[in-house]
Amino acid sequence: MLVETASFLVVRLGLTYLALPATGVRGVLTQEEACHERTVTTAGSLYRPVDLAQQLSIVADLSGIEMRTVLYSAGGFLGAICVEQVVGLIDVERNKYLPLPPQFRGDERNWFGGMMLYQDQLVLILNPSWALGALSSAEPASLERTEQLVKIAPAAVGESC
Amino acid sequence: MVFSIGGMKLAARTEDVGAVSSWTETIPVPSRTPFVQAMLKRDNHAMPVYDLAARLSLKHIGSPLLCLVIRHLDGPMAICIDADMPSLETVDVAVIRPNSSGDIESLGSVTIGEHDVTIVALQRLGRAVQDTVMR
Repeated sequence: MLVETASFLVVRLGLTYLALPATGVRGVLTQEEACHERTVTTAGSLYRPVDLAQQLSIVADLSGIEMRTVLYSAGGFLGAICVEQVVGLIDVERNKYLPLPPQFRGDERNWFGGMMLYQDQLVLILNPSWALGALSSAEPASLERTEQLVKIAPAAVGESC
Repeated sequence: MVFSIGGMKLAARTEDVGAVSSWTETIPVPSRTPFVQAMLKRDNHAMPVYDLAARLSLKHIGSPLLCLVIRHLDGPMAICIDADMPSLETVDVAVIRPNSSGDIESLGSVTIGEHDVTIVALQRLGRAVQDTVMR
């Protein structure tokens, strides 16, 4: 019997494990590859910084060597999401992930599309439209700021700055 | 069932309690729901944790702490209680008084020994405060 699966990029922020639907992932950069900047341009596209830790009120240490910038596309927005660690890309059978329990009744129902258990960890499935939705109110990058942007060659993940 | 949080005696209907076990580390969940900010993993399941101690502004006493798995209307939920093992008491329904404090969802209060004990409505726990905050 054919089992329907979905792919997710699992990342960690603080003590929280999050799953990003893999369809929106455009790249993963190390600190060096992102040149320690928060806004990234690649292949002519500008990825604005998404402070997921702040949006979710998570205490995260983004100075570690495992910190990565995930370039993500959702709802017409491009975001550069800093995470403490990229755990891996996983395929999950759709019947393995569950909705958030109804006892969670606040804004978090918009933040997370569900949850699953992966390698003994609770992983929350992030709603990318919400995560990148904050960019809808962002001002266009100024010329001064644009000059500070990181310029990365197309698909240059792994190249030096 | 009589249990305690921060030394404060509380009671619950036995049919509202699913299990009592040792408390284990919880997993924080970003949340704006009052007092529901974590989950507890048991085998292949995870259930929300209701921080009743925080709601009552109390701190747990003893070690190791215990876990009360409650039969909430929305599904199983865990609350952390003091290390004192809960006890069973049988009370006549006629001696249950209405609880006027309104601090917590309750089915009334009853005198057990020398204590005036609130009977917590575990099935509805969190609903009143959530409705107030969400409104």
